Amino acid sequence: MTVAAGVGYALIGLGPALSIFVSVISKKPFLVLTVLSSTMFWLVSLILLSAAWRALLPIKSTAFWPYAVLILTSVVFQEGIRFVFWKLYKKLEEILDLFADRTSKRRLFLTDKLQIALAGGLGHGVAHAVFFCLSLLTPAFGRATYFVERCSHMPFSLISAINSLGFFMIHTSSMVIAFNGYAQKKKSDQIFVPVIHVIASIMTLINLAPGGCVIGIPLLCLSAAGTLLYCWMLCLHKTSLLTPLYSGLPVTVSFEISSRARLKLP
Amino acid sequence: MERSILDSIGTEIVGVMSPVSICMLLVVVLVSGLSPPSSSIDSSSSSPATAATLVYLESPSDPPAEKLVGALLNAAVFVALVTAVTFLLVLLYYYNFTGFLKAYMRFSAFFVLASMGGSILISFLRRFSLPLDAPSALLLIFNFSVIGFLSVFSNAVPILVRQSYMVALAIIVAAWFTKLPEWTTWILLVALAIYDLAAVLCPRGPLRILLNLASSRDEELPALIYESRPTISNHSEPSVELQPQAPTRSNPNPNPNPNPNPNSDPRQTLSSRQSFSSSTEADESIIEIQNHAETYPLVSSERGRDQPESSWSDLSSSLGFSEQDNELESTRGIRLGLGDFIFYSVLVGRAAMYDLMTVYACFIAILSGLGFTLILLSIYRHALPALPISITLGVVFYFLTRLVLEPFVVGASMSLVMF
Repeated sequence: MTVAAGVGYALIGLGPALSIFVSVISKKPFLVLTVLSSTMFWLVSLILLSAAWRALLPIKSTAFWPYAVLILTSVVFQEGIRFVFWKLYKKLEEILDLFADRTSKRRLFLTDKLQIALAGGLGHGVAHAVFFCLSLLTPAFGRATYFVERCSHMPFSLISAINSLGFFMIHTSSMVIAFNGYAQKKKSDQIFVPVIHVIASIMTLINLAPGGCVIGIPLLCLSAAGTLLYCWMLCLHKTSLLTPLYSGLPVTVSFEISSRARLKLP
Repeated sequence: MERSILDSIGTEIVGVMSPVSICMLLVVVLVSGLSPPSSSIDSSSSSPATAATLVYLESPSDPPAEKLVGALLNAAVFVALVTAVTFLLVLLYYYNFTGFLKAYMRFSAFFVLASMGGSILISFLRRFSLPLDAPSALLLIFNFSVIGFLSVFSNAVPILVRQSYMVALAIIVAAWFTKLPEWTTWILLVALAIYDLAAVLCPRGPLRILLNLASSRDEELPALIYESRPTISNHSEPSVELQPQAPTRSNPNPNPNPNPNPNSDPRQTLSSRQSFSSSTEADESIIEIQNHAETYPLVSSERGRDQPESSWSDLSSSLGFSEQDNELESTRGIRLGLGDFIFYSVLVGRAAMYDLMTVYACFIAILSGLGFTLILLSIYRHALPALPISITLGVVFYFLTRLVLEPFVVGASMSLVMF
């Protein structure tokens, strides 16, 4: 039954990512490549970060301020990386549009752009979940499980699975929000993303206190849900500008429908 | 219905990447599934005397300097062997022993599938203690190998079967290669990447000669190459391919009259080398298959090289899709040497022996390297070595992950802090 436990933890952490990948991403090769490059980006950023922090690790003190500094620098760095990713994407979008013009296909659509943003976010989220959850799951497949002393209520694997699910949600939706914010030069969206990232990371600091995970993990999930809701509203708003009729449907479905409906409009 | 530009871009790249990922995934599953029960001491002692460990057999207790020197020597000998066999291949191909080469290739595919696949099957059965009697196991292996034997060069076999057999061959050989000792594996990978770079890009590099020869004769390379032809495509494509070959076939071969001497000569070197190397028959076949596989780097479509084909492909693409497909897609599909599959998987398989984290990092790095190579391919439009970028990235990411990333990530997530 231990294999079942391991698979279960993996699915908690990566199940939503898997379903998004299968239902949306895998149908369009370009989105697969976007996911891959975004994953690579995140991995490089993580390696750079860890190289910078390597000398100071492991943190011995029980005080939480070193962790706070670590988290703050990491978040700032990753948001910087997100901006670089956006700049690159902007260049790519120009190329794609040029390409579409030359081959007399239609240019990138709003839904296409949203899908690219989703793919970029998915790459970040998947990379996070893979490195912070999946790669630590090896013990969970064995006969025993592992508990952290600070949080003895549930197995360590379950905690990291739930945590990385939360961060997966945050990364994925905040990429969509951020791309939208950058594209429309909406300051509120541009600020919302780093703020929610910092807040979510600060929530995990609560876990440092003994038994703090009882409070920290629900709070993290709450902020993930908030980000997801915000992203949802944003997408609904944007797609409902195209098709008011279908605004009640789930986001991906309304993507599909709106792209089809749009074709009939002219 | 008008389709978005997103639907068509990158199909080819993903078409190459997905079999590579499948191959790597299965090798990782094989390595991590099969290695734990046979304890690490046992596996290191049973580390086979392959051609890659001719000079030096690593033991875990050796000092690092000795390991390094030994691994370097091993890699040098191995690359020298590879070079020698590749030149032999070029020679054989130059004198039009295509039939012999194809037969040899078929034989080695059969041999690899039967012997090494069989040994993997046995260890699999042993690992999960599955009861299977010997006759049915033999029958299974024999059937499996015979289809592989048939599917290597014949066009009658569905492309999907051929592709899966290529992947299966790569998996089997890569799983075998992961039994090499650690230092040797790393040095060997780097050495092969450098060799690949030299052999394809140097003006007198053996692979370059071979590719030019094949494209000037306008025929298929007699080699184990994965072809990412669209599997669901319309059946007119192969015929389109055959059409332009008919006129060019008519012009005579550059060397119509090969004298029998070169035939006996390479054979002699082959047999002498066989007697020279102390390795067993199975190991010998590894090098051979590896060589032939390794030999064929990333080959782009022939479109850029000769005129009739290019006009045909333009025609077909304008019939099928719009012209933009020329940019990234070709009618023939991208072809990737089996050796690239093998060594990517060897890298990932070796990473799997350390930890899962290194596996993911190497996986992402290799795929990115492959993607980068494919983009370069669409820019330069001639054959490129597929190993160097990917292997470099893979090796760098392995060591970075192992030395830098892992303490950081494990430290952070053990204290339940994430960002």
